Amino acid sequence: MNIEDFKLAYLLSCFCLALIILSPTLAMVIRLPSGEPFSEFWILGPGHMAEDYPFNVTAHEVYRVYLGVSNRMGGLEYYKVFVKFRNQTEPLPDSINGTPSILNPVFEYRVFLKDGEVWEKEFLFSFDNVSFEGNFCRISNIIVDGYVLNVDKAALWDEENKGFYFQVFFELWIYNATALDFQFHNRFVGLWLNMTVPI
Amino acid sequence: MKIYNVLVAFILAILVFGYFARACFAVSPTDAGGALRNAEENLALAYVYVAEAERAGANISELLARLVYAGGLLAEAKNSYGAGDYERAYSLAINCSSAVNNVASEASDLKLKAEEAYGERLLFTVGISSAGLSVLFVLSLFAWRFLRKWYVGRVLKMKPAVEGAT
Repeated sequence: MNIEDFKLAYLLSCFCLALIILSPTLAMVIRLPSGEPFSEFWILGPGHMAEDYPFNVTAHEVYRVYLGVSNRMGGLEYYKVFVKFRNQTEPLPDSINGTPSILNPVFEYRVFLKDGEVWEKEFLFSFDNVSFEGNFCRISNIIVDGYVLNVDKAALWDEENKGFYFQVFFELWIYNATALDFQFHNRFVGLWLNMTVPI
Repeated sequence: MKIYNVLVAFILAILVFGYFARACFAVSPTDAGGALRNAEENLALAYVYVAEAERAGANISELLARLVYAGGLLAEAKNSYGAGDYERAYSLAINCSSAVNNVASEASDLKLKAEEAYGERLLFTVGISSAGLSVLFVLSLFAWRFLRKWYVGRVLKMKPAVEGAT
């Protein structure tokens, strides 16, 4: 090793030492890019597992599922969960265009979550004023957490799948602090229900 | 008989008063809707300030607890409104607005304090780093003089070796 190489090695080691001394300041000033922000939204069955979801339902029977939201957006977020109810002919949200369903919500939750936090809520629901006429089934009320809510939905008998099909679905909305309004977060989960005559 | 008539008239008066008082003080859907809009705006504003305070590094645990509580009240108010219970919706919306009262100003104070604390911490860290760098610079100059001397001495002590010599 000649004197120039020795000098270079010495300068490099001094530079490394300087970086170590500067690292606390650099850590406070430089913001490293975080990963892609996202939110998780799920629905679990009565056993807190992705199984045994209610499917064949009757009037006056109480059913239970669990709703969950997880925040990975990198900061405090304000979410709104809309509960909507539809029959087979009514529209779902459009996940390609990121637009919500045009149906009015029948119920809602407000959730504030810090980054990395999880919210979970037991969702109890039942049906009231259900009538069957020929190949029609009409549901007048859905009862959620003790609130009697008017839905007034009718379903035709589905010849192919043999049932009167309705869907309870949940949309996740997030507050946009720039636009000062909620916007659809392009996440929704749903539960198909086949309304049956009580035995 | 006279006392009986007076008693009946009194009871009737109370019933009539009760009926009209209820009609006068009942909450209309418009009133409930207005209270809900106010509560919605107040809660959103409080959230914006608390989120800013959090980004500045403030401890927002207490304010977040108030936001969560107010959010629950607002959701219940909206659900009551949807179920046609306007009185409950109105009262819950008013409670929601009260729950977030002063949250925005408290969050602003916390944000300012957090920014001040950050500035002080940054100043202290920069000071320590500068002192460290200065010490490193001076020491490295001395160390270089010593190392160069050691290196040259080591080279001079080396015996010349001729390749291929026997």
